[in-house]
Amino acid sequence: MITSSGFPKFGRVSGGKEDRQKIGLVWVLFMVKDDWMTFRIKLFTLAVMGLGLAGCGRDEQLREARRNVVMVEVTSQTWDYRLPWNPGTVSSARGAGFVIEGKRILTNAHVISGARNITVQREADPRKYPGKVLYVAHDCDLALLEVEDPEFFKGTTVLPIGDIPELESVVSVYGFPIGGDRLSVTRGVVSRIDYNSYTHSGRESHLAIQIDAAINPGNSGGPVMQDDKVVGVAFQGFRGDVAQNVGYMIPTPVIRRFLKDVEDGHYDHYVDIAIRWMTLENHAMRKYLKRPDDGLGVVVTDIFSEGSSDGVLKNGDVLLSIDGHPIESDGSVRLEGQPVQMEEIVERKFAGDTVLLEVWRQEKLEKLSLRLRPAEMFSMYESLYEEAPRYVLYGGLVFQPLTANLMAVLMGSSDLRLRQIYSMFGQDQLYQETPEPVVLTSILPDPLNVYLRGLAGQVVREINGRKIRTLADVLPALEAGKERTVILFQGDQRPAVLKNRDVDNATPRLMAQYGIAEVSRTELGNRRLAKGSLQKADSK
Amino acid sequence: MKNLIRLGTATLLMGSCLWAASVDESRGSLVRVRASIQPYDQFRPWQKKAPFGLNGTGVVLPGGKVLATAALVENRTEVGLERPGSAEKCAAEVEAIDYEANLALLRPTDTKFLQGFAGVKMGPALRAGDTAQVWQLDKNGEMLRNQAEVLSAGVGRYPADEAGFLLYGVRVSLPKRDDSYTLPMMRDGMLVGMMMGYDRDSQEGTVIPVPMIEHFLKDALDGKYEGFPTLGVSWTSLRDPNLREEFRAPKSGGILLTRVNARGTAGRAGLKEGDVLLSVDGFVLDEDGNYQDSLYGPTSVGNLIRTRPIVGSPAKFHLSRDGKEMDLTGTYDRRARDEIAIPTLQFDVAPRYVVIGGLVFQELTGAYLQEWGDKWSERAPQRLVQLFSFQQEMNLDPAKKIVFLSQVLPSSITMGYLQLSGLVLSKLNGQEIDGLKSLAELADGAEEGNLVFEFTDNPRRIVLDAAEVKAMGDKIGKDYGLPALRRL
Repeated sequence: MITSSGFPKFGRVSGGKEDRQKIGLVWVLFMVKDDWMTFRIKLFTLAVMGLGLAGCGRDEQLREARRNVVMVEVTSQTWDYRLPWNPGTVSSARGAGFVIEGKRILTNAHVISGARNITVQREADPRKYPGKVLYVAHDCDLALLEVEDPEFFKGTTVLPIGDIPELESVVSVYGFPIGGDRLSVTRGVVSRIDYNSYTHSGRESHLAIQIDAAINPGNSGGPVMQDDKVVGVAFQGFRGDVAQNVGYMIPTPVIRRFLKDVEDGHYDHYVDIAIRWMTLENHAMRKYLKRPDDGLGVVVTDIFSEGSSDGVLKNGDVLLSIDGHPIESDGSVRLEGQPVQMEEIVERKFAGDTVLLEVWRQEKLEKLSLRLRPAEMFSMYESLYEEAPRYVLYGGLVFQPLTANLMAVLMGSSDLRLRQIYSMFGQDQLYQETPEPVVLTSILPDPLNVYLRGLAGQVVREINGRKIRTLADVLPALEAGKERTVILFQGDQRPAVLKNRDVDNATPRLMAQYGIAEVSRTELGNRRLAKGSLQKADSK
Repeated sequence: MKNLIRLGTATLLMGSCLWAASVDESRGSLVRVRASIQPYDQFRPWQKKAPFGLNGTGVVLPGGKVLATAALVENRTEVGLERPGSAEKCAAEVEAIDYEANLALLRPTDTKFLQGFAGVKMGPALRAGDTAQVWQLDKNGEMLRNQAEVLSAGVGRYPADEAGFLLYGVRVSLPKRDDSYTLPMMRDGMLVGMMMGYDRDSQEGTVIPVPMIEHFLKDALDGKYEGFPTLGVSWTSLRDPNLREEFRAPKSGGILLTRVNARGTAGRAGLKEGDVLLSVDGFVLDEDGNYQDSLYGPTSVGNLIRTRPIVGSPAKFHLSRDGKEMDLTGTYDRRARDEIAIPTLQFDVAPRYVVIGGLVFQELTGAYLQEWGDKWSERAPQRLVQLFSFQQEMNLDPAKKIVFLSQVLPSSITMGYLQLSGLVLSKLNGQEIDGLKSLAELADGAEEGNLVFEFTDNPRRIVLDAAEVKAMGDKIGKDYGLPALRRL
């Protein structure tokens, strides 16, 4: 069940699944994010928060943990974006979880993503119970499970959720890492409290706490405890040859936000202010903007259309305060007496909430309010887990929307144009024209397409005179072709021309030969793309 | 971009198929070329990188000049010639150099130095299956002749970016020598090619053939070097019957032009994107772009348009446009290659830069991007990669150079800007920037007030105080040991 090989450089911590995440991918996704969301990357120290907790004996903590920490065994299926019609490869993995109030089990999203079968097991009970996913939040790598059989909860209590532990304070990590099958405990101290990338989603950064306790494959989803409270969920670490004694846990503000979000019966995405800003540390720049040298304020440099700030903020605005918290010229605010990145104010809010901003605009002070929403236009950068890969097959030509998952398999073989579109998609707001670039990813060899094989990897611009803005445009455009179909690509590529009659003849042959049941899968499901208004937003 | 396979360094190894010839024979034909190389440092444009030496073998031509590869003398600080088997030395000057064709013509500064050298004559062009010898000079001036077989003769890649010319692929077993950066390939005492790359594992090498050398020499010896012409088109094969039908191509032959540079030979002759090019200068093209060469058989159109004609010679095109056949004429030139906003081929040119109060601005070149290493297209700032790679289709104005902020030297006035790099500058104080010169002039002209720099990307705009920049003067240069604050 457990494979210890292939533990990624910076990967999630559950047995078995790690080889899914390629080392290169992790690094590339960092880069992409760096391009369009620099504000997320800025490192910051959120100093000590939280209070000393009322003491409780170590014996008691252990007793509580033994009651409530569960082993989560998952058989999951991973889609193959190279062969999007296939159901994918099956693998098994083991992680941990723990019982929280409401007879629910909290674990990591990556432990149960793509799950086809979940069993949970407590230390005191040899039986394995079937588990079910109640909610999953891939953006903050958390999930809630339920177990229908009430037997399972006999003898469990509830692990209460605590606060952010102090730096250098001692914490214990519970889980089922490699090395044995019984509950394991490791201890360490809180080394750092900081924003960090959540590799499961590939796109997100949230508050994360670094600890020096050993965290190994199989620890994922297990509680990190201090005294009698949970202070985090173990979720990712570095591969042993990269860094030692560096493990990460999801801190309780993120856990609380998740639990609150699902109270209404479904999980919404994190919201995003969707701007880029620059520090205001240069005195000539301050003078130019007519700001006194008071060490306050940052300059807005980009506003992403369709985002929360679209139509409210303007380039060149100086943000002075957020929800009443003065913004320092380095972009930090004081929260409960401690400096944190100003986005933390937004991080703790939900879709539809508002945030109040004081803005210096054209030498006047203005008070603005933003209604927060998720940054759906960047969803391309998010790794997908549950959704089946979408595609359209036509005469052996495989069309797929550009996604992080697709890019992960194309990396290395992808050409410069495709990589450029991917990395510039957010930064240049390419989603305004093309909410979802469509790629001719591969060509299944057939006599029909023998002259087209060099075109694999090209980005589709037009089919039969119709602009292709999302995958949904492909089928109608193909149907619009009378007698023949002309596909144009971006750049100076030759077009692909196919006779419709030839394609009709080839389709049954291709499907039989390559074992394909459906010629297309285009339903978007719950995912939302950018609306892609062709109108340029106020970004100049 | 550049991927020269270096020939080995000094280890004496006796191969199977070589023998030593007399010192006298080599004295008549070959000299050692010793070049001191010191490339510019594109990341620190005010300085050069650590120097090193390259040794190669030059071919003495009748008339007292020496032929070598361009790669041997690229980024040279000086070049010296040495008689084999003696310590006699002489400095040399580069009279003509073609980085695309990888050829250089050297002239000894002392005209008497090559006295007594008969010089090597050009031999015949070879075809696949022919044999020749690759000559190497030993430490003591003895010559090793290694049997070589021509495996292929056709258009292939040269080390310079995007350069494709006639090329021989040869198989030869070469012992390691330190004079091996360039080696002549000879037959019957005549030069048939210059070997420019060798892979020790496969024992295969690449050789610049005589037709290329003759083209180069003809151009170089008339006093004004113009280089190899180019059409300025992208094209694709027309084997696909559906594609033929779509572009109403005739029954057989011809290639599809997918992009035509309006400034190039083809563009000015009137060729357009979507044209089916059927023949060039009377040579009929097949669906894969090959013409029938009298010597090499089916050969890529690349040879037809780049090696055969010279700059200034007339070009004749027969094509089919929307099903109608027509003839167009033009003149071969290099404008599609040379008139370009971001130069791809720029060697031995000192990188230009301006330092303004600690902000370092440079002009974007292929050489700068190349400095990011083999994976430059992934590692270099993506905006710069985009401009460089897609400059043709973005139709960048060749007269307008791309100026970018490459780095920020920390100083009292650049606080808060230190992490900025790779940003394309569009305006200074509202004035468009079309090169480093205009940037320097504008900055010099501002005595007081603000210097507002506008970039195409985040953070869009930064400001320095002109009076503070002036007051700082040379201090930033002194602090960082810069020999000069600008090179325009």
